[in-house]
Parts: sequence; structure tokens; C-alpha cells
Amino acid sequence: MSQQERDIECLRRLIGGDQGALAELYDRYCPLLYPVTLRILRSPGDAEDAVQQAWMQVWRSAASYDERRGTVAAWLLTMGRTRALDLYRSLSARRRAETADPAPRSASPDPLADTAQGQLEQRVRQALDALAPQQRQVLEIAYFEGLSQSEIAERLDAPLGTVKSWTRQGLMRLKELLPEEEWV
Amino acid sequence: MGVNAHREEHLDLCAGYALGSLSGEDEARLEGHLASGCPACEAALADFSRATVLLGASAGSARPSPALRARVLEAAQSEGAAGRRETAPDRGRIIKVPRRSAGWLTWLPAAAAAAMAVVSALSWNDANHVRGDLAAERQKIADLQQQLDQERRWAAVLSAPQARVAELQITPDGLQALRARATYDPATKSAVIVFENFTAPEGKDYELWALRGAGVASLGVIKPDASGYAVLKLENVGDPETLGGFAVSLEPAGGSPNPAAPTGPVVMAGKFGG
Repeated sequence: MSQQERDIECLRRLIGGDQGALAELYDRYCPLLYPVTLRILRSPGDAEDAVQQAWMQVWRSAASYDERRGTVAAWLLTMGRTRALDLYRSLSARRRAETADPAPRSASPDPLADTAQGQLEQRVRQALDALAPQQRQVLEIAYFEGLSQSEIAERLDAPLGTVKSWTRQGLMRLKELLPEEEWV
Repeated sequence: MGVNAHREEHLDLCAGYALGSLSGEDEARLEGHLASGCPACEAALADFSRATVLLGASAGSARPSPALRARVLEAAQSEGAAGRRETAPDRGRIIKVPRRSAGWLTWLPAAAAAAMAVVSALSWNDANHVRGDLAAERQKIADLQQQLDQERRWAAVLSAPQARVAELQITPDGLQALRARATYDPATKSAVIVFENFTAPEGKDYELWALRGAGVASLGVIKPDASGYAVLKLENVGDPETLGGFAVSLEPAGGSPNPAAPTGPVVMAGKFGG
């Protein structure tokens, strides 16, 4: 059974009210969600709030998952990102400045447990290094800052159509450089 | 070419969609295009969505505090099944879950609440009894308290965040009405198994088996009440590494003469997860 098939089975059980299924998905995907929310919010406390909100949304709306739009992993990650970006926008600028940690560290470092994840992270970063700078830039701005394509075009002073092309090319190149990679 | 025919620009929209960076207008355009089905776009969405997961993996390997896990599971538990269910729009609903009766496991908290009520009532009566009855009443309270603690312990198995659940399915030899659901807590190696419609034919008994590695082990005969309902609460059901699920067989009265193998047909079986 593939990871996607296992995750769908987990979602079925979760829809039925099985909290063990929620725990399973949490354990598998929190190591993916949390670093993303931490990078967006730059505060471990806020990142944990966003992650908690995301999982509650998963618990409530698992029945709305649509396999045609992407994998369960991508769907869960989108929940986390969206909650983090919403929280970021709702925090006042002053509050963001007060709590921002320029190099936020893990609340509970566990160097031995992260080998497979750490290696995947290495490989993805190498692939990002291999992208054309503009492609990498639009991907990272869209992903970690949540800007729309029009906003990105404005920030980079580039035509909207060009931003759209860079986005597509960047994702396709990433996929080509990492053809077999999946979340661990 | 029709207005919804696939064009190169649709791939741009798919990329933006995967990143969540599309304008509302562009998103509506893409949804309209996808509504009539587009294999090229669906393949692209799958690829792009995978790539966004990899982008996420580039964010580092920080971990949240262990307390976060407990908070999430407690919040889910307190919400329970009621009040959940944000129903999906009709388009794109993929997961269809068969409805189960809501009363599946409501007996347990009700029993605990009833026991608590009795304990409270007895405590009040305590003050109004003559001295000679005091000791007897105190013993009753202690017994009920012990029962309540037991019930709470079994309730904890059911709601343990790490609990594994197996819905047993009927085999061709099983009656349609049979229902059984097992919840196993790997931390305590305890399980609660609930049975419905388990009245055995005359001269026969249903027996429960643990699936351990390649073999099976008897967990005892199932003794339902008059309505066919039974709950088994078992300790030392099996190690998390080897316990794969449960099965039920139909045996002569008293169960299989062999504790390591059923002699009658297996009527239900279920494994954890998928």
C-alpha cells in the first residue's frame, strides 16, 4: 500500500471519529507542518497555535478532502500553511517584531530522530539551489509569505505573465530534480 | 476548440493553485476548466502538489513541544463527533464513509456517570444513617469507587490517542447481523471489544481470537446478554509488534478445545489500519 493509500485509509477512520487516526496523521505529518509554520511566523508559540488550529480543521473537515486536487500530505500541509499565513496577517506589525526570533530553534531538539528528514531537507535545498534564481524566489515568496501572483509581480517589478511562467517552471524543475522523493 | 479545452495557460494556473497564490478570478477559471475533467491538468496538479510538499520539507526539521500533541488530541476529544462535519461541496467529494449507528459505544460513559451518581447519593445518605450502618455503607462506596476506577481505566483505553482500532468484517461464514469493533491500546496492551447481535446458535459459542504474528491465541468465549450484546475488556492482549487484529470463530459450547487454533469456521476478522 502506498503512503497516499495509507493516508486515505487514515482519513476514513478519522471521519468516523477515530482519534487514533488523528494521532497517526499528527505523528507522521507534524514534522512537516511545524517547520513551515515556524518559518512563516518566526515564533514557536505562534507556530504551535497555527499547527493546533490546522489539526482541528483537519479533524472537522476531513470529509472535504478531494483526491483529485493533490495528496493527503499536500492537503495537510496546505492547512498548516494557510493557518500560519492567516495568523501572521492578523498579528499586528508591532507584535510580529516583538516575538520574531531571527533564527527560531526547535522547542524540543531531537538530533537523532531526524536523519531521514534531515537528508530529505538537504536534497530539496540542493535542488532549490539548482533552480534559476527567479524561479526559486517566486516559489519561496509564494510559499512562505503567501503573496498572490499579482503581489509577487509587483514586488519583483516583473510582468504577471512572467511570474506565472517562473512559478510553473520552478515547480516542474523541482519535480524533475527530485523525481522519487516523498515525505518520509 | 471548446471554451474549456486544455491550453498551456491552464498549467500556469495549476502551478499557482498548488502554491495557493492564484487570484480569486484565476482560481474560478481553473475550477471551471477542471469541472469538465482535464487529464493533463489533473496530472500536473498531482506533480505540483508533490513539489509543494518537497518545498515544505526544505523548511527545516524543528519540532514542536510534546505538549502540543496532547493539546491537539484533547481538543479533538472534547469536540467529539458532534459538531464536526463541515460537509463538502458536491463537486470533488471523494471519500464516502458508510454511516454507523451513533450509539455504538455510548454505554461506557453512561455507566461511569451512573456509578458516580450512586456514589454521590450514598455519600449524602451516609450522614443520615445510624452508626451501625456506617461501615456497610462505606464498604459499598469503596466497592463502587473501585468499579468506577475500573470503568475509567477501560474508558481510557477507548480514548487513548495511540489506540488502534479494528472493525471486524463478516466472512462468508458469518451472519449479516454480526457486528464487532476492537480498540487496542499499545501502551497498556489492553483492549475493549464490543459485540452486537452475537447470540450463538443452540449448543454453540462464539470465541474471540488475537491475531499474533503468524498464529492466533484464544481470548475467550463471548457471552452476550439477552439482546446479543457483549463487551470484553481484556488485559495482555498482545504486544504491539505482533498483534495484528482479531477474529471470531463459531465453536462448540465452551469454545475450541485447542487454545491455539479454532476448530469451527471463522465468522469475523479484522486487522488494524489498512
